[in-house]
Amino acid sequence: MGFYHFLSLGIVLFTIGVVGFVIRNNTMVLLMSVELMLNSVNLIFVAFSRYLYGTEGQIYVLIIMAIAAAEVAVGLAIVISIYRLFGTLDISKIKLLKG
Amino acid sequence: MIVGALGVILMPNTINSVMSLLLSMLALAGIYVLMGAHVVALFQIIIYIGAVLVLFIYVIMLLNLKGQRLKLPREASTYIISGFSLGLLVVVVWLFWQSLWGTTFTGDAANLKVSATVHQLAVDLFSQHILIFELTSILLLVAAIGAIILSKK
Repeated sequence: MGFYHFLSLGIVLFTIGVVGFVIRNNTMVLLMSVELMLNSVNLIFVAFSRYLYGTEGQIYVLIIMAIAAAEVAVGLAIVISIYRLFGTLDISKIKLLKG
Repeated sequence: MIVGALGVILMPNTINSVMSLLLSMLALAGIYVLMGAHVVALFQIIIYIGAVLVLFIYVIMLLNLKGQRLKLPREASTYIISGFSLGLLVVVVWLFWQSLWGTTFTGDAANLKVSATVHQLAVDLFSQHILIFELTSILLLVAAIGAIILSKK
């Protein structure tokens, strides 16, 4: 497996994450799609770090993982409060504006 | 791994989605080991599978979510916008690919000599990148406090 295989895999994973973010309307699945996109970016970072013989890529991957954990904690707290407020997680049914 | 990623977005039930994400992340950890990035693979398993996925499953159990049918959007404007953005994505990827083609990134990933050892990684993280390390720790603290306040009431 060479560099371009990892790059293609990362791009395909990112596209799947974007498509999932667009077509689903469950808030949990939206958060999981964001996780998928972050994972694909991590994969591309590690691939570049591997082929450029540097350590920066892996350090940034560690930082991205910490930020992803923080984002999931805050996101799931928001999900819990949305569920308490509306009784559903379907974002097409959540309306606060009266239009 | 791609099967797992597709399962995340296509499974109607949320818990099946989480299990597909688990499969995808385990495969990604295997790829990291294959690339010689053992530290990253270890953190992938500890942080993502040990913390993030457990948090997802915990929230699903807490909210007692039931499965729902997979509804696709029906408006024509949605498909027009999706097609346009997909075309834009293809163009961007193609430009990226052209700029990278012909560079010297060759060789099998498993056979290259390992450059970033744990020692070198730690020295680099705590000398050059100490500022972003500290900023990340502050961000984690703020996120923890924010999550507690959001879910308190």
